[in-house]
Amino acid sequence: MDLDLNVRKEGDHAVLGVGGEIDVYTAPKLREKLIELVSDGEYHLVVDLEKVDFLDSTGLGVLVGGLKRVRNHDGSLQLVCTQEKILKIFRITGLTKVFPIHSSVADAISDSAE
Amino acid sequence: MASSEPALAVVHLEFPPEPALLGTVRLVVGIVARKAGVDEEGVEDLKVAVSETCAVAVGDLAWAGLSTPIELDLVEEPDRFGVEVRDRAPAEHAPSVPEDGEVDDRQFGLALVGALVDGLHSTMLEGGGHSTRFWLRRGLEELPPPLT
Repeated sequence: MDLDLNVRKEGDHAVLGVGGEIDVYTAPKLREKLIELVSDGEYHLVVDLEKVDFLDSTGLGVLVGGLKRVRNHDGSLQLVCTQEKILKIFRITGLTKVFPIHSSVADAISDSAE
Repeated sequence: MASSEPALAVVHLEFPPEPALLGTVRLVVGIVARKAGVDEEGVEDLKVAVSETCAVAVGDLAWAGLSTPIELDLVEEPDRFGVEVRDRAPAEHAPSVPEDGEVDDRQFGLALVGALVDGLHSTMLEGGGHSTRFWLRRGLEELPPPLT
C-alpha cells in the first residue's frame, strides 16, 4: 500500500494530486509534501482527492494542518472530491464547513481566485 | 444436542500491531462484509470504523512498547454485522499530541467510528487490554416505521 503524490503548477496554484489510501501509515508522506510545498512558498494549494480510495482521521488531521499552514501566509487550500464515500467523512466530521470542496480542479482554482 | 439458534459465521483475524497492515485488514473486512450481503455504503463505513479502531490499538501498543497481536472478529448475525477488536494495550493510553496545527487524531477517529456504526462500546479486558465492539444493522428497509 502506498500513496501516490504528484504536483503541478496551474498559474498561482500548486495542484497536489493524491492517489491511493490515506491512513495512519501513509498520512506522514502527505504531511511532508504539504510542509514542503509551503516551505517552497506555495501558499495557494489545490488537493485533488479524486483518486483517493480511503481516508481516515489521520488524513483529515493532515489536511487541517495543511490548511492552517497556508492560512498563516494568507493562502488557501481547496479540495477536489466527488466521491460520496470520501465526502461522507468530511460531512460527518463537520469539515465541509472548513474546507471548500469542488468537483474539479478548474472550479477550485476559479473559486480561489474570486 | 441440536440448537434452534442459527450458527453465526465468524471470521477471526490476528495481526501484529503494524500500521502497514491496516490496508490488508480493510481488504479482509471488505471481502467478508460483501460476502455477508452488506451494501457498498455499509462496507465503506465498516472499513473506516475497523481501521480507526485498529489504528488506536496500534498506537497504544506502540506507546506501551508491546507487539502483542490485535485480534479482530467479524460476526455475521441474522440482522446485523458485528465487529470486535481486542488488544492487550494497558489502560493508560498514549498521550494525544497533535502535530503542529493538526487535530487530535484519537478523539477525531473515535468520534468518526461512533458516527458511522451502531452500539460502539469499549471495555477493559481481564489481565489488561481493551475490547471494542460495534455493529452495523442490515436490512433497515425491512424494519417497521418508527412509532410516533
